[in-house]
Amino acid sequence: MKVGMISFAHGHAYGYANALQKIKGIELVGIADDNQDRGKEVASKFQTKHYLDFHELLDQDIEAVIITSENSLHMEHVVSAARKGIHILCEKPLASKVEDAKKMIQVCKENNVILQTAFPVRFNTPIVNAKKIIENGELGKIIAIKGTNRGTNPGGWFVDKEKSGGGAVIDHTVHVVDIIRWYTGAEVTEVYAEVDNKISEYDIDDCGLLTMEFDNNMFATLDCSWSRNKTYPTWGDVTLEIIGTNGTLAVDAFEQKTNVYSDDGVQWDFWGDNMDDALVADFITTVKEKRSPSITGEDGLKALEVAIAAYESSEKKQPVSLI
Amino acid sequence: MFKTLVIGAGTMGSVHAHAYKKLTNVELVGVVDRNYPKAMELAEQVGAKAFRTYDEAVASIGKIDVVSICLPTPLHKEYLMKAADQGSHVVCEKPLARTLADAKEMIAYCEEKDVKLFVGHVVRFFPEYIRTKQLLDMDKIGSPAVVRTTRGGGFPSASNDWYADFNSSGGLVLDMIIHDFDYLRWCFGEVKRVYAKSSKSRVYSRIEYALVTLRFKSGVIAHVEGTWAHQNFTTKFEISGTNGIIEFDSSKVEPIVTGRNSSSTGGVAVPESPLKDNPYFMEIQHFLHCIEKDEHPIVTAEDAVKAMEISLAALESIATGKPVVLNEEKVKEVIR
Repeated sequence: MKVGMISFAHGHAYGYANALQKIKGIELVGIADDNQDRGKEVASKFQTKHYLDFHELLDQDIEAVIITSENSLHMEHVVSAARKGIHILCEKPLASKVEDAKKMIQVCKENNVILQTAFPVRFNTPIVNAKKIIENGELGKIIAIKGTNRGTNPGGWFVDKEKSGGGAVIDHTVHVVDIIRWYTGAEVTEVYAEVDNKISEYDIDDCGLLTMEFDNNMFATLDCSWSRNKTYPTWGDVTLEIIGTNGTLAVDAFEQKTNVYSDDGVQWDFWGDNMDDALVADFITTVKEKRSPSITGEDGLKALEVAIAAYESSEKKQPVSLI
Repeated sequence: MFKTLVIGAGTMGSVHAHAYKKLTNVELVGVVDRNYPKAMELAEQVGAKAFRTYDEAVASIGKIDVVSICLPTPLHKEYLMKAADQGSHVVCEKPLARTLADAKEMIAYCEEKDVKLFVGHVVRFFPEYIRTKQLLDMDKIGSPAVVRTTRGGGFPSASNDWYADFNSSGGLVLDMIIHDFDYLRWCFGEVKRVYAKSSKSRVYSRIEYALVTLRFKSGVIAHVEGTWAHQNFTTKFEISGTNGIIEFDSSKVEPIVTGRNSSSTGGVAVPESPLKDNPYFMEIQHFLHCIEKDEHPIVTAEDAVKAMEISLAALESIATGKPVVLNEEKVKEVIR
């Protein structure tokens, strides 16, 4: 199968490119990147061709494309690929605006191409195993979920609102919201959030605390702050604490680590399964078998809507309804 | 020498009684509980006399310097007034009262009777919490931004199952995470806005779980987790600032680990302390010192009211589904 990639603006691109290389029968035809230096470098690293103009890549004979550009460029890239009949794995958040995400979904439908949202956490082994425990009914009825997806401020275009659509809230709300929806099948009906820019010098939100109400009478909170400082032993976390009528379940997606104390400080060396590999392999299988994607564009949209509602709630200092 | 009396021989009464027993300037004269065998059991442990009622204790002992009130919350006011009438200083367990009106009346009553009132916000006496406040004051992590706390374990069992009666206890939001509210207020100042969710009225099993968001006037955002839906009692906190992070997790502090083949305990969880003098002892010692020297305590009755105000705002938010803005002026009215 011939596959392309558009932009290495998002760091996840490296993991996805590595994942592609591990799958038999995949040819990475080219990498489009509007950043000449970066494009050349990664094309050489992954032994493929660099295209400065993404249209040129889309004109090649490719069946699928992975889009890892800046959030605000997702729409242009997805829509262009869809119109060429190319199947798409698009980095999260699906878009920087809700209307863009809706348009992307619509165009992909019209052109009969697969649009999968890249939520790699769905392929994290502890997250997957925890889902089985929930489905066994061991916890009883789920009452509440406490989530965290903290991180380090990534800087670069992530802190440029024009390109990202927002900071920590848009970047880190979507993963955990997606997992909660996936675990429970419930939809968010209301969002309250306290959002602020209190940590970095950049003029963008880096503190976020969301409270969500769901259509199954469950509630959840999520800390999506970029609050890990530079000496913190790892980049961040994804954790869920699930409270059921019969018991509790704590999941730490990146707990598989070894503590390393070197002269560089303390580091957590992660040895868990590679979720990017599993995500990309799933997407390729989906394209091969012409299946519906395991994570749809709608899933990406639903998670994005919560993030956007969080910004609105924080502005209004009131809960925002999503029904 | 302080003559002290403990009212209520439950979990907290036992903690107070043992602290008094250990203090050298204290004579613990009695333990009161209407469940007389319970009073006798505790009295025997601490070498004091057991009484069925407070009035019997007063009739027998005469002048008592300090009375500890370790009763279910709705009974605090009645016994505080009785003790104040006798000219005894009062150490009252938290929360001070079930309602702000009662709390206000209690403070005014103690002032009127010229007795001191101390409220057991013991978290201010836990060294990990004290040292963290000192680190914050030293600007160790820069300006604090996002704070998370956790407190809880299993559902508490006590006399008449009073914790399960929301009208009596106010549930864990008033009874337990008020500790964190008090501590956070100590560290970060006054709260501006409160938003909260709880399991209350969602489930009817014997569990309670609440998640509270606080926005402080300083801009700090705090997430407070309270649980009576877990298994073992733990406290946690994490403070992220512009230049660093401070985190603590009591479940990871195990200087001694023993293995036992069965476990089933009742009562209210009281964290076991790996210290010579536990925080409850330090608290009571401090309160007695304040009486002796006529000094202001580390945590005042006014602080206790402020913490109650945050708890009650959280309960209001849970009931209405709306954020509650705390009105400074209103609080002052309540206190004065």
